[in-house]
Amino acid sequence: MQAFLDQLWIARWPLWEGLLLTIGSAAGSILFGTLLGVIVGVQLAYAPWWLRLPFRIYVDIMRGTPVLVLILAAYYIPAVAGLSLGPTQAGILALTLFAGAHIGELIRGSLQAIQPGQAEAGRSIGLTFPQLLAYVLLPQAVRSALPPWINTGVELIKGSSLLSIIGVGELLLKTQEVIGRNFMTIQFYVFAGILYLAINIALDQLGKAVERRVGQH
Amino acid sequence: MFQNLMKIAAGLGVVACALLPATGASAQGKLKEVLSRGKLVVGTGSTNPPWHFRNEKGELVGFDIEIAKIVAQGLFDDPNKIEFVNQASDARIPNIVTGKVDIACQFVTVTAARAQQVAFTVPYYREGVSLMLVAGGPYADYAAMKAAGSKVTVSVLQNVFAEKMVKDALPEAKVDQFESVDLMYQALNSGRAQAAATDSSSLRYYMKQNAGRYVDSGYSWNPQTYSCIVKQGDPDWLNFVNVALRESMTGTTFPVYKAAYERWFGETPPEPKIGFPQEFR
Repeated sequence: MQAFLDQLWIARWPLWEGLLLTIGSAAGSILFGTLLGVIVGVQLAYAPWWLRLPFRIYVDIMRGTPVLVLILAAYYIPAVAGLSLGPTQAGILALTLFAGAHIGELIRGSLQAIQPGQAEAGRSIGLTFPQLLAYVLLPQAVRSALPPWINTGVELIKGSSLLSIIGVGELLLKTQEVIGRNFMTIQFYVFAGILYLAINIALDQLGKAVERRVGQH
Repeated sequence: MFQNLMKIAAGLGVVACALLPATGASAQGKLKEVLSRGKLVVGTGSTNPPWHFRNEKGELVGFDIEIAKIVAQGLFDDPNKIEFVNQASDARIPNIVTGKVDIACQFVTVTAARAQQVAFTVPYYREGVSLMLVAGGPYADYAAMKAAGSKVTVSVLQNVFAEKMVKDALPEAKVDQFESVDLMYQALNSGRAQAAATDSSSLRYYMKQNAGRYVDSGYSWNPQTYSCIVKQGDPDWLNFVNVALRESMTGTTFPVYKAAYERWFGETPPEPKIGFPQEFR
């Protein structure tokens, strides 16, 4: 145990950097993915079929493809088209596209779960469609979308560990680097597992707290 | 699984390359491109000592890193003008094919199949498998272990070919497979195994780290050659890298190669013989 603690102390900064990059890449992709997902969700719920079709194809491709394949595709396909993305950029791009599809689908579900009377009432008092969305529909959709949205966040934290395969120095790769040097395989993988668990439990608690606040209205 | 996915990714890359023959191809050649960029982009890993790993300060070090520095020294007269791109072993060939890196030095084993996809430079090390014993243990060397037959247990890293690999050298020995390097060495330390079989370079490095505790059995087998890889179709670039590497093993920059070899393998490589160039013998 002492030997492990000594090695942990030596490796504290690389592991800290890895932890920050794990949180950062997951947070970045959930932010961009949410922006993308709201657009996608609104289109899926309300757009005419010809506008809906490309969004439907995007969502189905993203949801039907393993995240690892998306990550590899985001890293290699732009490279041959002459646009070379760095591993972190490619990784966040892949996770954003993945998150956008999942969040888009859950926003669509939440919007369609709202009673039609709400939209009819909004329209009858003369709200334009953007106003209807902003004041009537999205606030209600957010409430029911929040628990699955937190779930997507947890998936992204875990999915970010796959970025190690394209050389992003996030928590898993930093852990593997430490193990490569000191051979303390089990100790450091367990440690990394505990860190992932701690982040996800914290995210879960944060979600529950926000849910309680939003639910009070 | 990763390997197959990498193949798919490489396949996508190759298909896209075929569709877009003009894009990305530099008209001026890689050598000029690298020189005008002012730094060399090197693909390598970060988790395998003594080849490429992070030391306690977090710096990328190892024999592959020193080889890359020899190339950068030749280009810019400065061994540090390098951008290292961290890549998994499976990404070595895709990253060359898609032009992510100028060169990969990441213990790439030379095979004819790989030579169909990438261009190999001259070799800079010959890897093999060796047996490490505890100093002062029951067996002194390879001959003693071979004579002991089935009384010997060899610890080895778990892998499909591990059993056959050990039996090639010690046909009657028992083989104990372990899933991680630390467990493999622990088996040797605890006496559960009398020898550990793994890459000669890893054993040399480990023995250097733990001076006096272990001995080499004196027998190595399973030769494989390590070279850097570059993209096919640019003979000037390949020739430049070859000259830089060859002269570090036979010519003016030999002291750099020698220092790296001693640092990571704890041994001195043979000095180039003065007079007739020995590589043409």
